[in-house]
Amino acid sequence: MSLPQVVSLLYQYADSMALLLLAALGLMIILGVVDVINLAHGELIMMGAYVTTLAYNRAGLPLPVCVVAAAVGVGLFGLLLERTVIRRFYRDRIGALVATWGVSLILSQGALLVFGPSMASVPLPAWTLSYGGYSFGGYRLLLFGVAVLVVVAAWWVLYRTRLGIRTRATMQNAEVARALGVDTRRVYLGTFGVGAALAGLTGALYAPTTTIVPLMGTTFVDVAFITVVVGGGANPVAGAILSAALLSLVATPLASVWGTFIGRIGLLVAALVVIRFLPRGLSGYLQDRERRRMARAAA
Amino acid sequence: MRAFWRRLDGPAEIGRGPLFWALFLLAAAALLAYPAVGSVFAMSNFANFALYVPMGLGLGLLWGYGGILSFGQAAFFGIAGYVYGIIAGNLVDSPWGTLAAAVGGVAASVVVAAAFAYFVFYGQVSNWIIPLLTLVLSLILETFMAQTAGYQWRVGSVLLGGYNGMTGIPSLEIAGVQFGGAAPAFYFLVVGVLLATYVGLRLFVNAHAGHVVLGIRDDVERTRLLGYNVNLVQVAVFTLAAGLAGVSGVLYVSWGNYVNPATMGLLSATVPVIWTAVGGRGSLLAVLLSTLALRWLADALAVRGGEYAFLILGALLLATMLFFPNGIVVTLAKALSRPSGGRP
Amino acid sequence: MKGGGPILRVEDLTKAFGGVRAVDHLSLAVPHGELRCLIGPNGAGKSTLFGLLSGIHRPDAGRIDFKGETITHLPPFRRVRKGLCQKFQTTRVYRGLTVGQNLLIARGRRGETNGRLAFALSRLSLADRTETLAGALPHSEQQWLEICLALATEPDLLLLDEPTAGMTPQETSLTADFVLELNRQGVTVLVVEHDMAFVRRVASRVTVLHYGRIFAEGSLEDIEANQEVRRIYLGEE
Repeated sequence: MSLPQVVSLLYQYADSMALLLLAALGLMIILGVVDVINLAHGELIMMGAYVTTLAYNRAGLPLPVCVVAAAVGVGLFGLLLERTVIRRFYRDRIGALVATWGVSLILSQGALLVFGPSMASVPLPAWTLSYGGYSFGGYRLLLFGVAVLVVVAAWWVLYRTRLGIRTRATMQNAEVARALGVDTRRVYLGTFGVGAALAGLTGALYAPTTTIVPLMGTTFVDVAFITVVVGGGANPVAGAILSAALLSLVATPLASVWGTFIGRIGLLVAALVVIRFLPRGLSGYLQDRERRRMARAAA
Repeated sequence: MRAFWRRLDGPAEIGRGPLFWALFLLAAAALLAYPAVGSVFAMSNFANFALYVPMGLGLGLLWGYGGILSFGQAAFFGIAGYVYGIIAGNLVDSPWGTLAAAVGGVAASVVVAAAFAYFVFYGQVSNWIIPLLTLVLSLILETFMAQTAGYQWRVGSVLLGGYNGMTGIPSLEIAGVQFGGAAPAFYFLVVGVLLATYVGLRLFVNAHAGHVVLGIRDDVERTRLLGYNVNLVQVAVFTLAAGLAGVSGVLYVSWGNYVNPATMGLLSATVPVIWTAVGGRGSLLAVLLSTLALRWLADALAVRGGEYAFLILGALLLATMLFFPNGIVVTLAKALSRPSGGRP
Repeated sequence: MKGGGPILRVEDLTKAFGGVRAVDHLSLAVPHGELRCLIGPNGAGKSTLFGLLSGIHRPDAGRIDFKGETITHLPPFRRVRKGLCQKFQTTRVYRGLTVGQNLLIARGRRGETNGRLAFALSRLSLADRTETLAGALPHSEQQWLEICLALATEPDLLLLDEPTAGMTPQETSLTADFVLELNRQGVTVLVVEHDMAFVRRVASRVTVLHYGRIFAEGSLEDIEANQEVRRIYLGEE
């Protein structure tokens, strides 16, 4: 294999990983902290894309401003959603799943009614790099950069701030955290808002790369769900990184030889195999291994 | 006979006692007598609603009694439909071709479901993983079938048809009797399947095996420690539900003579969940009634311009989860039975 | 009954959680037909040991033999089918189902063969409660129902984890007499119990656990006379 081929594969790998990370991280943080699966996650991504597209095409704002507006706007919508719906289902994971599924239908069908079956999308910034006969999309590389930044920021907040300590305390044991004076309801509210904002950001960032249709959320959620299942909720940041890294390793070669669709099948099969042996996902496995290591150290 | 009656009338379902069964028989008789008065169009229409009942009851069993939420019913419906189409299309000259196709279609759903369930349930995953992965399964199957347009995508002499789907599928024909969508025979077949599925599942949930399923929903660990192979039971229930979805899929294809990728898509995957939630988990009768009612509603909405249909269904689902978590039919049934001698 | 060897033999069993060895190279043998009480301070590893015996936990090391057969790595449901059943520490009955439905599940397709379940139901005044929701029973009756569920699987070895927790003295002595009677009928019983009134009433052989190990073993009198045992309990309380 020549060097340009290797670079091309690395590029595809990074591209795939960026998509999985950005699509799944918000969902995974909500699962890890709030212990709720938000099935409307795809529609929050769709909302992000719609806000960006409308702000760019109708209001004429520069793209970076549109992206920020989408993340903030969808984040605020997430807060509203938590207050009105999610809050009632904290003891009922499946109930939350079904209720958010209702929300997802309302949002996607509502978008169809209000904005019609499709919308003129944001032009893709035409930055390209070429190397050894291959050309690489500059915007795609930017997406990977943003994905890395988002993950680093999430890690920093969780492990290097007081807010992060409160959040992790709530994750570990909400009852104990409450006894120690953590307002867990606010932690849940804030986490849900941040998760929604991440979905909005993802939709905004991918808006120039895809067609803007009401059901566009579904093209993100299938990869997002698989990434979450493989990563597990035990440690959202580490789980997202490991899961995205492993799944991209499976999907990239399959997709580059047989196309995107076979890549997705590969993802599903990989997920089934992973949960057969590691039912709590990669981060759950790491957590268990850490516990065993501590157990041996004590022995 | 007494034991059979006691099981049929058992506690794991709402609607018990002689009055209920008298009404049930009356309703069944009315369904069977309906062709004498109803038009061919109305009969065919009702058959089209009712053919979804096995799929709905399958989820009612899996989710309501087994505690396992699945978005996979549509996938198994579609698999059965496509496999039926492939077999029936290739055996078009054989008198038993469509029957073989029906068996093959349901068998295909069962096999795929069992393989899927093995990985999921033997891994002993958390309960939120199954809805996610079944949803992904539906989406992937839809995407796959949507790109099978063109002559290279054929099995034997049957074209898979891509986005537009497979057309011209022969209706079920058994011993010379045609079960096409407008045929009275099809109506009776569907009503027969509906009644048999309901009574059969009612016997199942009140039998010992059904109680084990209830026990697993209530407390998985307890059930393991009473000597049950919980993983195997869950695989079996998931597969049974998928087989029932397969029955619906075969009936659907026999009714309309076509199947397309949208039967496995996102919206199709959703509707059984709406039927079960709105009717009420924990009651087969509630799921049966809400399946019929919501199929009728969706149809009525589609006639008036379909764009509002799923918005309304989504709102109905959300409202049910927020205000009637036990389901609308079950809540109503409990409210009705309370004044007439129900325990406090 | 298989004569000769013990019904349960545990060798070098070890299980650690997050740096703490809850069960630490523990060895134990319970002969056929015995009624053995396991006592020890909180955190001594009693419930972990039960979890290992019934198969909820996987041991880090060691082996478990039941009726002469190694069951260390068998899944829980196979152990039950071999005749080993457990009542949990915190009551676990199917709270959403009736007493009758609870028993139907527990009894399986066996039906009633040895009469112990019928005896237990009448003795524990549950026989006429079949239509009651298990979750609506008072706490003590839920405890009894759970013992009945375990008995319905027709165990040769019954593991009872704190069967009298939360009971009045009268209920405790009723439970103790009932367990004694079961034992006389041939069921080997291993009981974890904090309540010394219960232990005195059944007056059986006692094993003391401390830090995941066997600390002492002997008749009730020996154990009560043992200064070291008194010390670890006093240190605890």
